[in-house]
Amino acid sequence: MRLLSWPSITQLLLAPLVVASASEYNDYSENLLLKSLPGNSVLASFRFVSNGTFDSHHSVFPRSLAQILQQSQTKELHLKFTLGRWDAEQWGRQIWDGRTAGGTGVELWAWVEAADDSEADARWTTLNNALSGLFCASLNFIDSTRTIRPVMSFQPDGHHSPERLERLHLLHGTLPREPVCTENLTPFLKLLPCKGKAGISSLLDGHRLFDAQWQSMSIDVKPVCEESGKCQLQMEQTVDMVLDVERSLGKKDSPVPKPPPIEHLSCDQEKPYAGGDSCFPLSGVTDLPWSLSEMFGRPIRGSCPLAVVPTEEATHVCVNIAEQRSIFVSQGSEERKKSPELRCFILNENLDFDIILPELSPSTNIPLTPPPLYASRSLTGHGQERGGIQAVLNNPSSNSTVEFVYLESLPWFMKPYLHTLSATISGKDDGNIIQDIYYRPALDRKRGTQLEVRLRVPPRETVLLNYEFDKAVLRYTEYPPDANRGFDIAPAIISILDPTSQKSTFSIRTTSLLLSLPTPDFSMPYNVIILTSTVMALAFGSIFNILVRRFVGADEVLGGGLVSKIRGRIMALVANRRAGGDKPKTE
Amino acid sequence: MDRRSFTVVIAAVILRLVLFTAFPSLPNLLTNRVELSTPVTSFKRLQEGLFLYTHGLSPYDGGVFHQAPLLLAFFTTLPSNPIVVYLVYILSDVLSAYSLIQIATSGVSVSTPYHTSSRKSSTWPPWAVAVAFLFNPFSIATCIARPTIVFTNTAILTAIAKGVKGHGIAAVLALAMASYLSLYPVLLLPPMVLLAYDSLPAAKKVGRSLGSFAAVLTAVFTVAAAGLGALSWGITGGSWEFLASTYGVHLLLPDLTPNVGLWWYFFIEMFDSFREFFLCVFQLHLAVYLAGLCLRLRKQPLFVITTLLGISSIFKSYPSIGDTALYLSLLSLYRHIFPLMRYTFFVTSTLLYATLLGPAFYYLWIYAGSGNANFFYAITLVWSLAVTVLVSDAIFAVLRDEWETERPEMKGKEIVQI
Repeated sequence: MRLLSWPSITQLLLAPLVVASASEYNDYSENLLLKSLPGNSVLASFRFVSNGTFDSHHSVFPRSLAQILQQSQTKELHLKFTLGRWDAEQWGRQIWDGRTAGGTGVELWAWVEAADDSEADARWTTLNNALSGLFCASLNFIDSTRTIRPVMSFQPDGHHSPERLERLHLLHGTLPREPVCTENLTPFLKLLPCKGKAGISSLLDGHRLFDAQWQSMSIDVKPVCEESGKCQLQMEQTVDMVLDVERSLGKKDSPVPKPPPIEHLSCDQEKPYAGGDSCFPLSGVTDLPWSLSEMFGRPIRGSCPLAVVPTEEATHVCVNIAEQRSIFVSQGSEERKKSPELRCFILNENLDFDIILPELSPSTNIPLTPPPLYASRSLTGHGQERGGIQAVLNNPSSNSTVEFVYLESLPWFMKPYLHTLSATISGKDDGNIIQDIYYRPALDRKRGTQLEVRLRVPPRETVLLNYEFDKAVLRYTEYPPDANRGFDIAPAIISILDPTSQKSTFSIRTTSLLLSLPTPDFSMPYNVIILTSTVMALAFGSIFNILVRRFVGADEVLGGGLVSKIRGRIMALVANRRAGGDKPKTE
Repeated sequence: MDRRSFTVVIAAVILRLVLFTAFPSLPNLLTNRVELSTPVTSFKRLQEGLFLYTHGLSPYDGGVFHQAPLLLAFFTTLPSNPIVVYLVYILSDVLSAYSLIQIATSGVSVSTPYHTSSRKSSTWPPWAVAVAFLFNPFSIATCIARPTIVFTNTAILTAIAKGVKGHGIAAVLALAMASYLSLYPVLLLPPMVLLAYDSLPAAKKVGRSLGSFAAVLTAVFTVAAAGLGALSWGITGGSWEFLASTYGVHLLLPDLTPNVGLWWYFFIEMFDSFREFFLCVFQLHLAVYLAGLCLRLRKQPLFVITTLLGISSIFKSYPSIGDTALYLSLLSLYRHIFPLMRYTFFVTSTLLYATLLGPAFYYLWIYAGSGNANFFYAITLVWSLAVTVLVSDAIFAVLRDEWETERPEMKGKEIVQI
């Protein structure tokens, strides 16, 4: 296998992945990677791979999901639930090259087989509604205004025949406001053969997972074919989280987080203001001691009996920590040391498994690999009328140019002006930064904006991508109940392209944004209808009043008042009667 | 054009050039004002449309650009230099002023074949009318903000200038252009026909009934509008998408960006089930004045046009200050009826009040956050009310002037309406 010949630590990090692809046609495998990160953080990455077919009744592939995929003719599915921000400056490159992480909230994209766009839309709606029920998420709110069809950013991962590829439609939807929570984790665990009762999935507990600094749950389903032509569906479920050791350990003493007393803080005593009640916190002095059961609230309850028999390569749990740090594990497990920094373990089926790492001082970190690109995005401007977006894209590499696609999916009420789009390096645009643009403007209440920009950033340079937009005013029924909180704008998706194949090799999500729109007064509908109608009635009344009535001199009418007018009428009537009662009235 | 008018025009051109060049940020500042730029006229949106159009994307397959395709074709032929764009807008204003001077010179506002005002002498000379248009702050701000309503206004004034000379065909062609650019001038067709018919020289009128004249002009108008539509179809690459994205927006109001009119807040706050009903009512309300004005003011079709422009500057779906500026400049042709107006002080002070407080209240709502939408809405109500009072007061004054011409002995006496 080509991957095994890579002479670096990444080889060992990727080992579980490689093993998984070697044992693809085994039914189910699971593994956990624990990696220490700077600042007393730990990355825990759970990975579960199941294979199966639609028609098999004895497969570990969950039938509930298989039926949905079959019903909606979905050939490849990617569903991500994410919370928090991956701090690339501190934690380095994202695990799995960012493939498993989505943008804040819920992100879903799928390749749906259909004859035309409208059929694809119908099947996409079916898929969203079914998944919404399965995962207790508001996926049914992914309607036409939140759906885009990316052109450059995504390529299918699975094996699809060329004839089928022509019939596949890629649809992508995001719900940046969706709060990911325990009710999404429970159905996620239900899809696993051991359902969180045994194996590494027994560590997954909502209280710990959603307390993490960053966490992402993802489900990727794709067809995988052997050379003989036999195809299976492969489902890869991952849960990645970055846990703060200090915070997790604090849970032991008090379930509700509260600030530690000042005597428990480690302060920098060299600061001039140190002492008394002021403290400049020191971080990274020591690596705090932790154990699996302290971090997750419980140990691993044996191994999942349905998983493949672990081999020399496919182990259950791997720990990636500094070489100097010692490690203690429970009895009954077997250790496989793959490198000084990567120690792996095979669990005993019946015994609980725990890992204990003692304190290490001074703090020692494993070297971090920087990501191919640092990206951040923010809103510019002030006021509720218009604004701008600025994305800062920094290439940390010292020798290679990075090429990527920047994808924005904006709601219709944010109206970007493409003519204001600019990409500059230190204030200058040499015309070579933006390589290509795909733009599909929004239609009011029907469709959102889709903007894909292919950019190239030279080594050690920072590109500023800017554009302006107008904020629309909505109908008062279109505002959410908390209208002044603002509207969430989905994270931008950055797909780093391979320079030769032009396929996406790494993906990055920026954070979501909060856009505040001008709001009307929600208590006013009746008042506005009444006041506006009054002005219109006034105009109509006064103009037609002038148009239809005749002018006479004020001295030509009797009295002029209403009373005298009525009296005049009556007098005329009486006079008429007297003149001849038998004659028909002429008035 | 006499020498004085010429001086006025030159001065106005210089003033605009100075404003454009001496304050480089002023054009963009004014372009962003909701009072001047509406979703269907904004220059920024025009730029976006041009950008999409020149890059091969249909600007009508989106929610930003709602202006006529010919504008795209016109602006793509221009060099991208901003000075050229300034000059185009200044030229458009000059043409408008030239048309106004022609209208004023013809004297149609004081004497038509059926009516000659007894106050004929107190009317303003053509150059003064040009001053009232060119140096009206509303017109100047509109010109600097560069909304496409400027071209509509020029087309309307050109149509009137042709109409007063009796060039019916030319008048309806210009009117077709104006209607093509912003839909509502189509309401001016009946009074325009009347104006052109009344202005025909007596020799040409012989043997031509109003009915046949109107039929010919309506046919010309229809053909011209259809021709412009077909031309647009060609410009946009054989697609009718532009119809829904331009006229559909005028009619259905999908974009609720605030403006000086009454529609935006009404339809923000409207209950969904009544939205269509009130859209119909609001559109019909605009058309309802047409017949009444044409019948009652049959003797003065130019005044019918003026009044209809005033009404549509209040009640059309996306009005702006530019519409009011056009109405005010046409009203300046009726200087002789000003003494007969009853509420001039009220109207002037209310218009000033709304002009000054409008931007302030908008700022409080959108930027400072210390006011809410009702602040700006209240100002648009006041503004609309002021223009309404002005329109109805002008109608009153014109009718009284007609009546006094019939009964000269009643001049200066108190009157009542029965």
